[in-house]
Amino acid sequence: MNFLKQAQNIVKACDRCGTCLTVCPLFTLNGIERTSARGKNSIIRAFAAGLIPEMKEAQRALDYCLLCRACVDICPAHIQTDEAVIFLRHYLASNSGGPPLRYRLMGKILKNRPIMRVMGHFFSLWRAGKNNLLRRKYLTALAGPALLGRKTLPSTVTPRHTDKVAFFEGCGMKFIFPAVAEKTKRLLQATTGNFLTPENMCCGLPHLAHGLIEDFIKLAQRNMELFSSADIIVTDCASCGSTLKHLARFVPGEEAKNFADRVMDITEYLVKVGYVPRKRGNLPLTYHDPCHLARGQGITKEPRALLKQVGDFREMAGANECCGGAGSFCFEYPKAAKLILERKERNIAQTGAEVVVTACPGCLIQLSRLSISACHISEII
Amino acid sequence: MIDDRIKAQLRRIVGPENFLESDLDRFGYSYDASFVPLNLKHLPDVVVRPATTQEVSLIMKIAQDNSLPVTPRGAASGRTGGSIPLAHGISLSLDRMQKILELDEENMMVTVEAGVRTAEVYNFCAARGLFYPPDPASSKFSTIGGNIAENAGGIRAVKYGVTKNYVMGLEVVLADGSIIHTGGKAIKNVTGYDLTSLFVGSEGTLGIITKAILRLLPLPKRQHTIQITFRNLHESCLMVYEMLRSSIIPTAAELMDSVSLKAVLAHRNMDLEPGVEACLIVEIDGNEEEEMRRQTEGISQLAHSHEALSFKVAQNEEEAEKIWSLRRGVSSALAALAPDRIGEDISVPRAAFPEAVLRIREIAMKYNLTIAVYGHAGDGNLHPSILGDLSDPAVSRRIHGAIEEIFDVALSLGGTLSGEHGIGITKKPFFRKAVGEKGEAIHRAIKEALDPKGILNPGKIW
Repeated sequence: MNFLKQAQNIVKACDRCGTCLTVCPLFTLNGIERTSARGKNSIIRAFAAGLIPEMKEAQRALDYCLLCRACVDICPAHIQTDEAVIFLRHYLASNSGGPPLRYRLMGKILKNRPIMRVMGHFFSLWRAGKNNLLRRKYLTALAGPALLGRKTLPSTVTPRHTDKVAFFEGCGMKFIFPAVAEKTKRLLQATTGNFLTPENMCCGLPHLAHGLIEDFIKLAQRNMELFSSADIIVTDCASCGSTLKHLARFVPGEEAKNFADRVMDITEYLVKVGYVPRKRGNLPLTYHDPCHLARGQGITKEPRALLKQVGDFREMAGANECCGGAGSFCFEYPKAAKLILERKERNIAQTGAEVVVTACPGCLIQLSRLSISACHISEII
Repeated sequence: MIDDRIKAQLRRIVGPENFLESDLDRFGYSYDASFVPLNLKHLPDVVVRPATTQEVSLIMKIAQDNSLPVTPRGAASGRTGGSIPLAHGISLSLDRMQKILELDEENMMVTVEAGVRTAEVYNFCAARGLFYPPDPASSKFSTIGGNIAENAGGIRAVKYGVTKNYVMGLEVVLADGSIIHTGGKAIKNVTGYDLTSLFVGSEGTLGIITKAILRLLPLPKRQHTIQITFRNLHESCLMVYEMLRSSIIPTAAELMDSVSLKAVLAHRNMDLEPGVEACLIVEIDGNEEEEMRRQTEGISQLAHSHEALSFKVAQNEEEAEKIWSLRRGVSSALAALAPDRIGEDISVPRAAFPEAVLRIREIAMKYNLTIAVYGHAGDGNLHPSILGDLSDPAVSRRIHGAIEEIFDVALSLGGTLSGEHGIGITKKPFFRKAVGEKGEAIHRAIKEALDPKGILNPGKIW
């Protein structure tokens, strides 16, 4: 598979019109062309044509992307700039000695359950402390929905009362927000008589993001075995959900497709089974769309429908704009991530909401830095 | 090349973060939305992003003193290469000049800096019940300065005219760095030459537009979108003329031929209804429901007397959006059909529209090329889009042959090379044919008077 050629095939349809310029959260910060999707498409095109010999600078330009897919959504030709960026990252990484050591190491840890359990204890210690640096570092593993390809269609599964419903517990939820994961489990127990909690493996997104595709496939195969008896697989992590729903893009065979078809986000599932959340007075709240849920899975209505029943729901401007967390991005480019978060904070403040709700541990970590309270949707419904 | 001393001066003026000189940064300012291929020969030596007229003035003084070429740039969304720095030097990006300076509601005028996006001007005014009508397809991302420098058009031109009809006055930094103000808020003004009009459409070759005073209208309260299909392209054009002669002036009358329609439908996995040769999208506006009803009925009658196959009035915004998305989707749907899409922009007297389409069809046959035609039937501005692969020398020769003949068609029908995109680089070879030798000499004389050293956007228009 030639990553360069794949990237080139994607960007060749870009006619540089400029439609994407207004939606890129990074370009709107600095206004410099190379930051924009049009800029990246042109860099890839020029690089593939041999016009840009210097690899390092191209690599830097392509790293500076949230993979939030805002540009793909607005492009009149639906050019998958995010995918092209990923392909070129793979190409550049494999031509400069593979993924960096820190990512390979991280990949190993995430693959190994006993080590993860030990890590879990560490995390509980860190959670107790004020220092959230490691939480941040841990989340560097994740990447945007870009990586996974086009938006998935809504799940076609109609839950029946006899269905076996299994919880897919994401690493981020399990180790950083275990209390939230507990809430999700309780929600599931309340809506099904047949609840399973197989101890799943990592969804593999971090591995995929950093060029460890063989590890990714191994993890996927193990998860397919673990969930073979479940009729419905529910997760409360937007990133895991998006990864699992896109599994068939990377793992060949009917089984992967069958597995992917059974995956649902918690909000998608709850709306389908007709769950009615408990009203909490008139608490003013707003919602931030995780990239992996809105543009990864096309789920935007369900969380809002649930939240409207909970309290005084207020839509914020730019709700679906990336919060700047974006997996490893906020770690590699803290300054830009902070500026994007500040914009988000202004939008939240304008609604007068007291709580910002989201549905992804990555976003939740980023939003936890705000002065206003942030929570996962499972905590409030 | 620019020496380090001058670079240091420029850097001081705009601040280090707005002064770009790395290879990859400069590459980002070497292209625009035209079909001019990416080319390292088009890199500027430096990019500067001033925030004030004063900074622009200081930059121009340095450029003038050192004979450095300066290419102004807004959002680089132009279609003819206007912002490509052909002669290197300085790429002067006005994107940071983003202030809406004043809304004068009594005089119905707005004063804005050059880097404000056109849609922002529209939205800002619309929120206050006022209307800035010019709406080039790029209005969401293009800048008002760029729109003025190219005299951009748009779909509303049939009723509301183009950018130049709304520019009342300008602030311009001249080649030597001096700052002038042309025109103003007085509606009648015949004091001397109309310098404002001179700079509108000057493509950055006469001065750097930094501010503009724009005229506004009251915002119409209602808007209807209608989609009509025809079995005959000629009939659809005739219908448009009759509509305009009657008292119905639509805000838009956009026509797509069957090639364009097939492309946009194929993009959505849909088939074109058999027998459809043309699709017309008409938009009307007004204030009273009665007025809207009268216009819609009038259009419906005209459509039927011209053998329309279908007639559909959008019942809500969603349906209107769906109809418009057909038109907006054309250009990218066509782009997806071939490695290159050469979109032309000829403009003919309105009545010659059907004749122009027929002749373009003949050219397509002669050169064995796919050419889609769509455009603004209400104002005679057509966009023939030639599909092909420019990197194949044989195809490229055929494409260029076809372009030349399309221009000949436009000129022979009493039209011109460009309705709304400008000449830039891509239409340069045909400029003299269009304006004549004397016409070109006058252009040169005006250029010489305002920019004797020829530093402003060199290599453009002729």
